[in-house]
Amino acid sequence: MTQAMEPAMTHALAVGDRASAQALADDALGAPPVRASGLRVDFKGQPGVIAGLDWALAPGQVVGLLGRNGAGKTTLLETLLGLREPQAGEVRLFGQPALLPDDALRARLGYVPQQAALFEDFQAGDLLRYFRSFYPRWNDAKVDGLMSRWDIPRDRRVGQLSQGQQQRLSIIRALAHEPDLLVLDEPVASLDPVGRRDFLRELVDQVLDRGTTVLFSTHILSDLERVAFNIAFLSRGRIALQAPQDVLADEVRLLAGPVGRLQAAVDAHGGQVLSRRDLGEQPRWLVRFAEGNAPAPDAVLRCEALNLEDLFLELTQ
Amino acid sequence: MDTDLLFSINPGSSEPIYRQLVEQLRRRVASGQLVAGQEIPSVRELAQALAVNPMTVSKAFGLMEAEGLVERRRGLPMVVAAQHQKAMKTRGRVELLRPVLAQAAAEARQLELPPEQVLALFKTLLEDKGETR
Repeated sequence: MTQAMEPAMTHALAVGDRASAQALADDALGAPPVRASGLRVDFKGQPGVIAGLDWALAPGQVVGLLGRNGAGKTTLLETLLGLREPQAGEVRLFGQPALLPDDALRARLGYVPQQAALFEDFQAGDLLRYFRSFYPRWNDAKVDGLMSRWDIPRDRRVGQLSQGQQQRLSIIRALAHEPDLLVLDEPVASLDPVGRRDFLRELVDQVLDRGTTVLFSTHILSDLERVAFNIAFLSRGRIALQAPQDVLADEVRLLAGPVGRLQAAVDAHGGQVLSRRDLGEQPRWLVRFAEGNAPAPDAVLRCEALNLEDLFLELTQ
Repeated sequence: MDTDLLFSINPGSSEPIYRQLVEQLRRRVASGQLVAGQEIPSVRELAQALAVNPMTVSKAFGLMEAEGLVERRRGLPMVVAAQHQKAMKTRGRVELLRPVLAQAAAEARQLELPPEQVLALFKTLLEDKGETR
């Protein structure tokens, strides 16, 4: 199902067949920002945290990655960026191997890690100047604007900034070189609601102005709801479900009732069962129906649309 | 035009954002708050003001256009479509409530509530003009 919903990513593959690796790299313009195939990653002695994951992001997509604590979101994001070597499989970013990025590829990537990993002894302003030297492009106007809007004193040592300020600095550092792929791991955990909204606006600007591809994980679902057009659920080491949010809202329903009624409703309305939870007399099935095709609820059969939070709970229980 | 006032988002709803936007516009046109020729914010303005993915806003605008609520003009902001000269008659407006009330009625039946009590609650809510939640 994941594949069927991503028509934009198909043309990139056709190029690869006859081409050498070099030609493929040359054709990086047509290659998807992220393509992972057969990815398996062990983490801290735990085998298969990521287990046989295939995934691709199309250019300009804004994808929210959801999963429970410990599902492996950070491990996955790090592996996608080439910061962690998979036990099996491969990641390509814009057609190039993620583990061997050249400077041109590095310049296209922006990353905000969960814990801001910045040099604590640098002053904030010096830190940005330092990073600036690595990139061919650097948007000084954006950096200056964000530094003043987000109240980060340039002459303060990074180690003396608050958690929230460090996180904002990390975001500025990731946006400054105008990456084509932006990966954010819980970017707003230490931001207050105003800071979060401001950050979301910045993301929307990036998408509007540059068509940036964005992949981000967060537990703040109201943020995800606003800016992520697509949602991907990571569960048991794989992308269990990926779809545009609108499609999930329009097509996925929670059915509850006696098993016989559930099965009959699924059969009669051509539903696809995504998950089943059997809670004694009232099993709950998560079912996807074509839009407008969901069964009508009655005294015995419940049929409900779900918000993102409920969907997350049902899918990851 | 203050986009924050024209549209708002109710996060945590099972109603997708694009449909929330379409329904808000539909209600404002039906009530005559917005009439033919009035400008609608651009995708960019609305996406920025609401901090919402531009594709979601585009999708809402596409539906508004398909429904005849708004008209696209080359190179200019979209406007409320020409046929919406004034507010809909109350009979038409009240029909817009049918889907939510049908949903409420279904839930009331599931809860096996006496109709009088449900209607009394609805009346209280109608008279409570201030807080909606």
